[in-house]
Amino acid sequence: MAAALIPAREGDPSPHLLRLPPQAGAASALEEVRFGLGSTALRGSLQLDCGDWALDCRELRQLSEMLGGRGLALRSVTATCPTTLVAASALGLQNLWAEQPLVGTAETWPTPEGLAGAAVPGLAREPLLIHQGTLRSGDHLQAEGTVLVLGDVNPGARVSAGGHVLVWGRLRGVAHAGRRGDRGARIVALQLRPLQLRIADLVARGPEDPPPAGLAEEALLEGDEIRIEPARATWPLD
Amino acid sequence: MRRPGPLALTCCDPLAAVTNATARIILICSGKGGVGKTTLTANLGIALAQLGQRTVVLDADFGLRNLDLLLGLENRIIYTAQELLAGSCRLEQALVKHKQQPNLALMPAGNPRMLEWLTPEDMRTVANLVAERADYVLIDCPAGVEQGFKNAAAACHEAIVITTPEMSAVRDADRVIGLLNSQGIQPIQLVLNRVRPRMVANQEMMSVADVTDLLALPLLGLVVEDEQVIVSTNRGEPLTLNGNGSPAARAYHNVARRLRGEQVPLHDPTRERRGLRARLLNKLGMAGN
Repeated sequence: MAAALIPAREGDPSPHLLRLPPQAGAASALEEVRFGLGSTALRGSLQLDCGDWALDCRELRQLSEMLGGRGLALRSVTATCPTTLVAASALGLQNLWAEQPLVGTAETWPTPEGLAGAAVPGLAREPLLIHQGTLRSGDHLQAEGTVLVLGDVNPGARVSAGGHVLVWGRLRGVAHAGRRGDRGARIVALQLRPLQLRIADLVARGPEDPPPAGLAEEALLEGDEIRIEPARATWPLD
Repeated sequence: MRRPGPLALTCCDPLAAVTNATARIILICSGKGGVGKTTLTANLGIALAQLGQRTVVLDADFGLRNLDLLLGLENRIIYTAQELLAGSCRLEQALVKHKQQPNLALMPAGNPRMLEWLTPEDMRTVANLVAERADYVLIDCPAGVEQGFKNAAAACHEAIVITTPEMSAVRDADRVIGLLNSQGIQPIQLVLNRVRPRMVANQEMMSVADVTDLLALPLLGLVVEDEQVIVSTNRGEPLTLNGNGSPAARAYHNVARRLRGEQVPLHDPTRERRGLRARLLNKLGMAGN
């Protein structure tokens, strides 16, 4: 089964959609895409749905170059695998987290309209991205909605999210909540001692003094100032 | 309630509007890792800035960036060379000015994952952009002789090779000098780091003469092993910053002065008499390394 190409409707400014088949039993992503394109005369911008594929920078770049050679500009990537999202953000591609692994045949997949609706930034509508494991120096995890890190964020690592950033562990790197401009977004961590905090378009250096032991804290915007307070006991997604 | 520190969003330099075509773009490289490239870049940057030179240090070590850490600027980085190359920020936004030494600015390295597709042209673009705002551009080269080194070398006019008096480091330095020569980079000067005079005296370590014989480069500086370097690295305050009179700090200051063309005599600490007078002079900071 090759990649499925779903052209945008006539006069619709949204990109064409190219969906990779389930990884099981598939050839390389490049081969699947080449086969899926066939001899199409389609031009314009393209959104690639990677499903559960784990693609690294090199593979994504190859795909992008191959598509570029066919007159299709790769603009955004959706995926359920964090590896692919991290690689896409490193390449400067807009990336979205897909709600669930896409399985099944082309007929049962959501329509492009449905998918575009789900991709509108907003806290409530975006799914929660859960990352399990420590983010180490140089890692950059990016999410459209709220992100929950089950592990530490080490110095030199970055987490950025359209919604809240929640760290079940120590946050010692850089966190950016509300990166699409949501000023209500918060950064919560079991131990909050970040290098730098960003909420919406505001930036602050982390505090010099260590946090009180055993106290979870959260950073939020008050006016034009980022403040740190003891974390509220309520789940911040209300 | 704990307060996060405020951060000025603009790092604009009022001095900087003048175009300067004569900036010296200097690569600091070694081949081997851990011999002191980043430490030299940070300290030399501060020392040059203290001499009134507008200096930009450029972190070309995208994979394992550390220069921001040594300068204590890690938490002030908002944009990096990556955003600058992508055109999503202006040069003044990406340059991080040093908090105590306004003549010095850092151009931070981008995302480590960018390493795979950074080209020599990209590095040249960044170096030439920052060179417009500086008298000196110091490029902190990654270890190794692979793509990262090639990228960094493509952007520079001249080079400082730093090595320690160990066979493996000298061998790697020799290889790097060969590669720099083949690219027509001139002049190439040598800094010998982490010399232990007592070990050299006991013939347990290669002497200064052994190293310069092998590498045949003009010696720009000689830095003795100094525990203060470790302290300063961990604090994020380069040794040269605070008038620190430690032997390594003095050596870095002298490197900066020699780089500007000043005639600063170079004493070999391994040949120094270990008499009372010599030690007193050393304490008073009279002997220059």
